[in-house]
Amino acid sequence: MKKIVALLLAVLLLFSVTACGGGSKTEAPSGTTGENGTSGTEEAKGDIVIGCLQDITGVTSTLGKMVEEGAKWAADEINANGGVNGRQIKVVTYDTKADVQEAINAFKRMCTTDKVSAVIGPPVANIGIAIAPISEQYNIPVLHFAIDDRATIKDDGTPYKNMFLFQPSAKQQAAIMAQFAVKEKGLKKIGIIYNQSNAYSVSLVEPFKKVAVENGGQIVGEVTYQPNDKDFKTMLNKLVSAGAEAIYAPNYTQELILIVQQARAIGFNGPLICGLDACPPFPKLCGPEADGVIYINNITETEPQIQDIIAAYKEKTGNDATNKFFLGYDVMKIIASTIEKVGDDPAAIRDAIENLTNYEGLTGTITIDPATHQPKGLEMVMHEIKNQAPVMLKRYSASE
Amino acid sequence: MSLQIIINGLALGSVYAIIATGFSLIFNILKFSNFSHGALMTLSAFIGYFFAVTVNSSLLLVVAISMLAGGLVSCLGELVAFRKITLSNTSPIYFFVSSITLGTLYEGIVTIWVGPNFYNYPRFFETTVVKLGSIVISKSDLIMFVSSCAALALLMLFIQKTKFGRALRSVSFDRETAGLMGIDVIRIIQLAFFLSGALAGLAGVFLGINYTLYPQLGNLVVKGFIASVIGGLGSVFGAVAGALLLGLTETLLINFAGSGYAPVFSFLIMLVFLLIRPQGIAGSNVQEKA
Repeated sequence: MKKIVALLLAVLLLFSVTACGGGSKTEAPSGTTGENGTSGTEEAKGDIVIGCLQDITGVTSTLGKMVEEGAKWAADEINANGGVNGRQIKVVTYDTKADVQEAINAFKRMCTTDKVSAVIGPPVANIGIAIAPISEQYNIPVLHFAIDDRATIKDDGTPYKNMFLFQPSAKQQAAIMAQFAVKEKGLKKIGIIYNQSNAYSVSLVEPFKKVAVENGGQIVGEVTYQPNDKDFKTMLNKLVSAGAEAIYAPNYTQELILIVQQARAIGFNGPLICGLDACPPFPKLCGPEADGVIYINNITETEPQIQDIIAAYKEKTGNDATNKFFLGYDVMKIIASTIEKVGDDPAAIRDAIENLTNYEGLTGTITIDPATHQPKGLEMVMHEIKNQAPVMLKRYSASE
Repeated sequence: MSLQIIINGLALGSVYAIIATGFSLIFNILKFSNFSHGALMTLSAFIGYFFAVTVNSSLLLVVAISMLAGGLVSCLGELVAFRKITLSNTSPIYFFVSSITLGTLYEGIVTIWVGPNFYNYPRFFETTVVKLGSIVISKSDLIMFVSSCAALALLMLFIQKTKFGRALRSVSFDRETAGLMGIDVIRIIQLAFFLSGALAGLAGVFLGINYTLYPQLGNLVVKGFIASVIGGLGSVFGAVAGALLLGLTETLLINFAGSGYAPVFSFLIMLVFLLIRPQGIAGSNVQEKA
């Protein structure tokens, strides 16, 4: 009897394991706007398949989900207007779970099994860097937002042939933040705190230091932390006692909340200069301590051209569209307009994207530099958080 | 400056102390390290969070609800995962395996329930600081430190001075004899789980206030484990001493050696203790360190 029970339990376990291990792919087929609409609908022959490689359930899921939402929103708009050359767009999303290995496997599956025409890559540097060398094997363009140079440019200075960045690079963003802090705000003594194991954070530190010092600023202290650190008070104390008037913290949102709250908790009331991660919803998540945070963004929420979408998205989902939504939206529209001109052959799309000029998107006028595969002269906007709401301060063209 | 580091260290140590105490209560009675404790902290912290955002956001009530929820879930966990093993009197290794499984279950429930994102408690108190000369103490640290001390003092009083506390101690000393003396052993084990769960709830809320709420919040239980090894597994007093020592060491190391070295040294200290003084600071009973 005991043996039978044991055997039954073993079978049950095996069943539950196989039931859970079904992968994490979701598809949004043409015409449907709902999620996970994989089955039931008859897949029209000749749909254009676009891969979306995003973190949907990991630590950076707030970013990845927004890119996916933006891309799907654009695809729905296109499909509702008759599609591209009469064909519908189908978005296939794979969840990277913010894990490099998951991302690599998913990317390979997209390119080999799903036969995508193009891939919308993640706004996550670690994953962008891991995908870049692998993308060389497949002739499929990856339009991504990983601002670390290594996700787009090889060690020898030439670009990876299939990797394209669609927001200003880390160097450009860090330079804008440094210029703004030192020249515009007159902050001369700056302390830096960043996550040593995050390529995104690391890539924003050196260019910031360089431009800050060139403009007459001084880096009074620099502390690094590890991914599992939760208590930053002692590190921040070090910067404050070194005389920092401002603290530069180019880190992901969750860590940023702790850093900002703990900086206020040790009595530091000066400005904190942050990257894209301090964009909404950060001010609400962080609370009143967020006041005085200065950050960079691709858009400003009051721009007239995005008001209709913000309102429509809010009405449909109840959520606010963040900057990543518009990045995803623009890239999907770029892919669609490219396919309209050159067809859905990935190699032809790649060539056309390499020579993209003056595309009028919601995040600005996008021109890709064929020498770097990064955008030229795209604008970024500096903001300050006041009363837990962003206030636009100055617009910069990412020229460097 | 150095006094400031000590104060930061004590604040950190006081949270570790609540984790470590909850840990050692169970070790005391059943002689195993309950690794579901961390996930239980997360689960009860989230229950407190949803109470705070939907019903009432007074800190006192949220703490009470989380502690109650932690205690009840802990009792349920005992019934599901440990009761059979207790009754069959088998090796503590089964407790250990069962506790890891239970922890994974709790974490899975939380992840399915709230998703992978992080949450922030509503503002319970203004972020103000108390300044004593050049020393800055944040109000949240102060509240946490005082509440931890109060909770631990109450627990000590309960264990030392009440009838149930005496029963708890006798069951932890010798379960079988205590049973023969007429003590309802299972009831006392349930009591220990309830107390341990309530402490998990308290620690969960404090960790959530300080470090945001997310499904893997319970991973901080490792710190509680190190603290209770340093202090002496199974000793409540030792757990507190070990936790404060760990908190202080970590902040000192972060300040002087950088954050990369702090965990390395924490584990080294634990290893040194296991080598030289396996019974820990308090030196109480030690057999299985599963």
